[in-house]
Amino acid sequence: MILPPFEYVECTSIEEVIDALGDGDSDRDARIVAGGTVVVPMMKHDLLRPDVLVSLERVAGLEGVEQSNGEITIGALARHREVSRSESVREAAPMLAQACGLVASPVIRSMGSLGGNLCYGESASDPSPVLLALNARLHVSGPNGTRTVPIEDFFVGFYETAVGPEEVLTHVEIPRQPRESRWTYRKWTPRAREDKPLIGLAATIRPDGAARLAVGGINPTPVLLGSASVRASDSDLSEREVNDIADAAAAEVDPFEDLQGSEEYRREMVRVWVGRVLRALREVEVDR
Amino acid sequence: MPRVTDAGAQMTPTVGIRCVVNGKTIEDSVEPRTSLVDYLRHGVGLTGTHVGCEQGVCGMCTVLVDGVAAKSCLMLAPQADGHEIRTIESVAPGEELHPLQEALRDHHGLQCGYCTPGFVMTALALKDSGAACDEATLRAELSGNLCRCTGYQNIVTAVAEFLGVEEHPA
Repeated sequence: MILPPFEYVECTSIEEVIDALGDGDSDRDARIVAGGTVVVPMMKHDLLRPDVLVSLERVAGLEGVEQSNGEITIGALARHREVSRSESVREAAPMLAQACGLVASPVIRSMGSLGGNLCYGESASDPSPVLLALNARLHVSGPNGTRTVPIEDFFVGFYETAVGPEEVLTHVEIPRQPRESRWTYRKWTPRAREDKPLIGLAATIRPDGAARLAVGGINPTPVLLGSASVRASDSDLSEREVNDIADAAAAEVDPFEDLQGSEEYRREMVRVWVGRVLRALREVEVDR
Repeated sequence: MPRVTDAGAQMTPTVGIRCVVNGKTIEDSVEPRTSLVDYLRHGVGLTGTHVGCEQGVCGMCTVLVDGVAAKSCLMLAPQADGHEIRTIESVAPGEELHPLQEALRDHHGLQCGYCTPGFVMTALALKDSGAACDEATLRAELSGNLCRCTGYQNIVTAVAEFLGVEEHPA
């Protein structure tokens, strides 16, 4: 397949990237390419027809995982496979390592970057609900400098994020999780395991009782289940409470439908999987 | 050397690349819109890497980039710059088959053979990674390569034999 022509710019610094992206005016569509697992197929499907592709591959400082006092900083270019195998992530945010290890198939995991996954704005993303549950912060650079976006403000619409056309996501920061937090991420794919999740559900319960449940693949964006999270907090998760929380979660979502499932089916899967996740958390031996 | 051109479209600016393909250094200029698999097949003349879905699902086009398996339909030719690419042609350059190819033949791990180069490159990357591997890991690692003939069991058996992985009957 031969794509329509475009210009290719390989940058070595964030400043060059911002320069190459231009001022975000609509006459010239400049797009960032990192691992290529999203942008290239979208171009092949003619969903994107950029004038310029701006490559991040040689931009310094976007790689790797750093840990300091239990707080994790992940460069936007870090590949899913690297995140899933990182000792730091496995120790401080094991749920993210688990979710990144479930994205698509192994070769795609070693090509596609975490930053690309997030900027795609896909609802059915494995890491996105996990980062919502972990209360991540995202660092975005643009012509007006750098800003920090709380993950709850990051997904703004169907395949739409808070990153403007003139901006670039540089780092993902995960605050230190209290010791003895309980967590789990569950992914349900009705067809094949390398598919996107029909539902991906992440949950954490801190030792002080505060719970965060977040879901991908249901609403047009990955979302925090606010009402269910409040109900799950300070709960001893009796069978009756689990059922109530699952009902609350099913009531608060606003599912889209596609060939994989109707609105009703997705809502029912929220009820089923919130119940399963909470029952699983009840059984979890806390880490350390 | 033939170049990828699209007779119907205007020629676009090209980008210089320098990479190593199967041990040979190549300097060339490529159109950015050329995928790596198209470049390898049409630009370098290595047609052993096959084209399947062209969207990163089927694994036909798997090559090694700096020793790591990559789907070359998702890479643009300019992204090969500075990297070392290995394709199926490097696996058994003489008359002798590679042991993995032998294993695939012995266990009837192919019928039409279209997917075989991708499976071979994926399995070689797995071997070279040196990672500990059991049957479940092996099956997971091969999950990004599709075969529409064999039903996979014979491929798994062949790769398991090559990697020295013990297979458990289903």
